[in-house]
Amino acid sequence: MKTHFFIGLFSLCLCASLRAELKWDQTVLELHPGLGDKEAVGHFKYQNVGKTPVRFKSVRTSCGCTAAQSQTEEVPPGDKGEITATFKIGDRTGTQIKTVTVETDDASHATTVLTLKSVLPEMLVLNPSFVFWTAGEEAKPKTIVAKAGKDFAAKNLTVTSSNPEFLIKVEPADSTGQWKINVQPKQTARAMAAALTIRPDFPKDAPKMFYANASVTGAPVMPPAAVKAPVPK
Amino acid sequence: MKSRAARQALLLVALAFLPGIGQAIYFRDKVSWQSPVPASESVTVAQARAWGGDVLWVDARPDAEFASDHIPGAVPLNEDRWNELFPQFLGTWAQGKKVVVYCSSQSCNLSRDVAVRLRKQTQPPMPNVFVLEGGWEEWLKTEK
Repeated sequence: MKTHFFIGLFSLCLCASLRAELKWDQTVLELHPGLGDKEAVGHFKYQNVGKTPVRFKSVRTSCGCTAAQSQTEEVPPGDKGEITATFKIGDRTGTQIKTVTVETDDASHATTVLTLKSVLPEMLVLNPSFVFWTAGEEAKPKTIVAKAGKDFAAKNLTVTSSNPEFLIKVEPADSTGQWKINVQPKQTARAMAAALTIRPDFPKDAPKMFYANASVTGAPVMPPAAVKAPVPK
Repeated sequence: MKSRAARQALLLVALAFLPGIGQAIYFRDKVSWQSPVPASESVTVAQARAWGGDVLWVDARPDAEFASDHIPGAVPLNEDRWNELFPQFLGTWAQGKKVVVYCSSQSCNLSRDVAVRLRKQTQPPMPNVFVLEGGWEEWLKTEK
């Protein structure tokens, strides 16, 4: 009985010592791309600390906006390497969390999820960026709040509408670096739309433009009203 | 003899569970136990098809994938070129239409991100915005 126990224990230890294992420096990376950057690139570094080679079976990303690449298909024992994850910023805003799923032939850690957190620089955040009125709704003003990010030192905003049927009024909000853009249609009897162009006075040499939209939409399509059965007299 | 074998089997099963339980406790805040899209905000291909002409299909995939092929009548709206595509989307949107956003497959997040942005960045919040379950892959299956 004792012999069997020790043989079992020895086999277990042997398996453990011979196993392949990728050790990751970090599985979560936080990136802070600068204003105007088009991409955020993260490097997930690893080392094979096991005794056998590790082979990558697949490297998948959670989003078409992120590409991930391994330098090699197989990592010999002791070797180091990295998975490069490239996040395309595009017109995204705020904090973006994307994942990269790495599958290897290492039975003990077959799947590793790497997380790329990109904190995008806030220039001018518009909330909301689209205001609309239903046809026939009272033509009350609706407010778009424009908030400048901490590195975006705008002092003033100019807002123009592509359609003169929408009245625009800009006023500073309670906090510094914030404005209220009040949008009001002259009428809501018929459908119309406008593109609002927002021009902050920053950066001084090449001010960036931002866009919002306003529209009066047609009345929602309602299902036909149920016909009431005549009440018997 | 039999009972000893059963005891050993049970012991092995219990031992096998231990690392799993430990991992579940250690990573309890990192594991998503729920679908990222609530059931009320997602729709199947069959349900969306049943809505007929009331649907505005929105393709949240990157431009190249949209250009390659897309659901007939779909409009592109992705976050790579949101500022350019959003006004075009508004040109086809009408209140009362059901907006069904899709990306490449069940595992992609682009459709969810676009749907969230449509709801959050409009005032009043855009109604009837749904995410297509299974995305483009599922649509193709039903086409066959």
